[in-house]
Amino acid sequence: MRSGRPSGQQSLIRKLFWAIPLTFVAVLFYWPIAKITSLGFSGDWLATLSEPKSLEVIWFTLWQAAISTLVTLVIAIPGAYLLYRKSFAGQRFIKALITVPFVLPSIVVAVGFTVFRNVHDFWIELGLTFLSDPVYWIIAAHVFVNYSIAVRTIGGVWAGLDTEIDEAAELDGAGRLRSLLSISLPQLRPAVFSAAALVFLFSATSFGIVLVLGGGQVQTIETAIYFSATQFLDLEAAAALVFIQTLITATAFLVGSSLAKGTVGLEQVFEGNRKPRVDRRDWPASVLTAGIVLGLLVMPMLLVLVEAFKVGDGWGLTNFANLGTRGARDLLNISVIDAAANSLRNMVVASFIAFVLGTLISWLLVRTKQKLLDLVFLVPLGVSSVVLGFGFLVSFDSDWFPLRSSWLIVPMAQALIALPMVIRLVYPALVSIGKEPIEQASLDGASSWQIWRFVESGMIKGVLFTAAGYAAIISVGEFGASSFLAYGSEGTIPTLLFRLIARPGEQNYGMAMAVSAILIVFVLSVMLLLSRYSKTRQA
Amino acid sequence: MPAQGGHSCDTSRAYLQLKGHELKKLTTIIAASSLLLAGCAPADQAATKVTLVAHDSFAISDESIAQFQEASGFELEIIRAGDSGSLTNRLVLTKDSPIADVVFGIDNTFRGIADENGIIEGELVAVDYADVCFNYDRVWFEERNITPPASWRDLTRPAYNSLTVVTNPLSSSPGLAFLATTVAAFGEPSFEQYWKELRDNGVMVASGWEDAYFTYFSGSSGNGEYPIVLSYSSSPAAEIRDDGKSQTAALLDECFRQTEFVGTLAGASNPEGAKALVEFLLSESFQNTMPGLMYVYPVNEKAVIPAEWSEFGPPARSNIGEDLSIATHREKWQTKWSAIFD
Repeated sequence: MRSGRPSGQQSLIRKLFWAIPLTFVAVLFYWPIAKITSLGFSGDWLATLSEPKSLEVIWFTLWQAAISTLVTLVIAIPGAYLLYRKSFAGQRFIKALITVPFVLPSIVVAVGFTVFRNVHDFWIELGLTFLSDPVYWIIAAHVFVNYSIAVRTIGGVWAGLDTEIDEAAELDGAGRLRSLLSISLPQLRPAVFSAAALVFLFSATSFGIVLVLGGGQVQTIETAIYFSATQFLDLEAAAALVFIQTLITATAFLVGSSLAKGTVGLEQVFEGNRKPRVDRRDWPASVLTAGIVLGLLVMPMLLVLVEAFKVGDGWGLTNFANLGTRGARDLLNISVIDAAANSLRNMVVASFIAFVLGTLISWLLVRTKQKLLDLVFLVPLGVSSVVLGFGFLVSFDSDWFPLRSSWLIVPMAQALIALPMVIRLVYPALVSIGKEPIEQASLDGASSWQIWRFVESGMIKGVLFTAAGYAAIISVGEFGASSFLAYGSEGTIPTLLFRLIARPGEQNYGMAMAVSAILIVFVLSVMLLLSRYSKTRQA
Repeated sequence: MPAQGGHSCDTSRAYLQLKGHELKKLTTIIAASSLLLAGCAPADQAATKVTLVAHDSFAISDESIAQFQEASGFELEIIRAGDSGSLTNRLVLTKDSPIADVVFGIDNTFRGIADENGIIEGELVAVDYADVCFNYDRVWFEERNITPPASWRDLTRPAYNSLTVVTNPLSSSPGLAFLATTVAAFGEPSFEQYWKELRDNGVMVASGWEDAYFTYFSGSSGNGEYPIVLSYSSSPAAEIRDDGKSQTAALLDECFRQTEFVGTLAGASNPEGAKALVEFLLSESFQNTMPGLMYVYPVNEKAVIPAEWSEFGPPARSNIGEDLSIATHREKWQTKWSAIFD
């Protein structure tokens, strides 16, 4: 075949192109990981891991992630059914609304659940003592965050399934539940597994939520790594836990992606089929979903909005006015406004790098049969931001590579964290284009660049847009790596928010509420705008 | 000293020497990205700026900052990096390329770690101290005609059931100080018995000092429900009421003395500025402001201590536990403590 093979010159350029992302992950991922490993494995790390304390932490990480995943999936199925299989007034708004928790910075979620927990004191006094257990709230917050990702992943596939079998079963008198169990679920299995893997991954690597809601009493591997490194200077223990954490996340990812196929639930879903309206027989799903959306998703956010305007026993804007200050007794190194500027700057740099590199890697991966290269970029998917922050902190301080003394260290770490998300979105999209349009253009004499510029990028424009957006969101909300790297005048919104919420005092608390309220309103507006945008595009 | 970042700029130039017409664009990208990676910022700020890293409780007045900057000619940047423990550990983790020139606030609990890891140029110098003692709400006890405790050892007595709030030794430095106090007083493993009795006597554990003092304690602004709190010997001086008396008093025997230190960091990029800053932090004029801003006693004997401090918030009569090697045993004690309170 004439077109299948690039000319010698082209292949040289392609090899050089490979050098860019390879250098990037080698220096920014493999080096710090190797450095941590060398720190930790000098000692008896197996003994460290078999200590009861470590075992307890590992066990808790696994089971809370498993419970979070299970609960999320069970409640997401009726949600996916209503939002993607049926139609009702306000559906688009609800879809945008449930996405907000997933997009919110994790530390804002933690703030929201801190407030949400406080309103339950009443029930605790009535004897529902399990509500005073931080574990309950950690799981609730994980469900809150992951609900939309599960709904979208499952719903995205469900929307594309044939409705005829359902209708036939209905004619034969099968109820909703029966047709769900015997017809829909088997077909949805890959999507359910895919969602399960993602939710498990997010819950197992969740850091800010466990740190704030667990209050140091409840530890997962992530927070244990953080405490071992920063509080106890026990690098051996930290490194051993890094090893276990990476093992768990990599396994979850690999198992998930081999059981599931395709969709990850972030991309735009095609909903061409006309969907039937919600009818009377949908009441169990409707009641359950309404209860979850209002009681679990909307309540915490609403409470933060209310608290933000509370000043003493009255109401006012003092909390917002205080954002120009550095908190009670100058607790913060910089004002929230300065931190917002830092966050924006990091966002631009990180999302640019992640987007360009992620797209380049996807483009190259489509054009290679080297499975090993695939793996090289796959491994960083399993790494958590805490691990990365810790690795960066101890690695980049040599004279000839003084990244740590530059502000760039934070956006670099964030770019690496966002990179897998970009690849996960762009790579499947490029694969779905298929070979034909490219071969055709190549026959017509177009260069690789021209093909990308005029054919491929146009066909996956929506996905590229989404990928850039998610990279930006990840950068703004990222907390684990920043908690190691962004100190002093380089503080970001999440790191400042953590300091504010971790310190009592009315002024600090009020400021934390005000920042969180602004972010919630901002994210909700963006989500609503995006849903309008996709509506006009579909029309 | 060569400017930081200089070397990395040289390595990126090596990329540019690659030959080949077709590759020009590509090499430019690589060069640009490696420049970006290395953070090749102009780095000659070192000569005009001196950086202080301190714990979260560090406070300094604008006048003091201006005074230092004027006298020394250096601009002062302050980084707050968590509590004394996080601060020390961060400095150890980053010792090959220190994040500041001077550190304020490594305390006697963590001094050992700082020394072992060689993060300080020369020696740490004591800059202030404070005594961790229990306080009680005088008025609360008077109104109820109950005799207040005479020592923290009394807190396990039934008379003081559900009256005491302490801070969590896992997350608070006075909490850890009091845990060390009990180890010093009873030895291992007997200190665990004291804590079990304290727990059975309804002690409240707050996560941090501010929570304990401002929310749970009855004798301060929060008007909480607990009339006994773990705090400092100087705290009663901040609770003086209209009658000219303090609402609270401290139990001044067997308190743990927290001494805080300053020092120049090994490998500081501005050693000259560091020296000037350490001298300034020990000078009379800065030390005069410390009681008011940080509620600690200055080490400089010439420094003026506010009159109400000598009357209502004097240093402890006796100290305990200073010779314990806290940094090395801390984790073990904390684990034992957690086992009691879980």
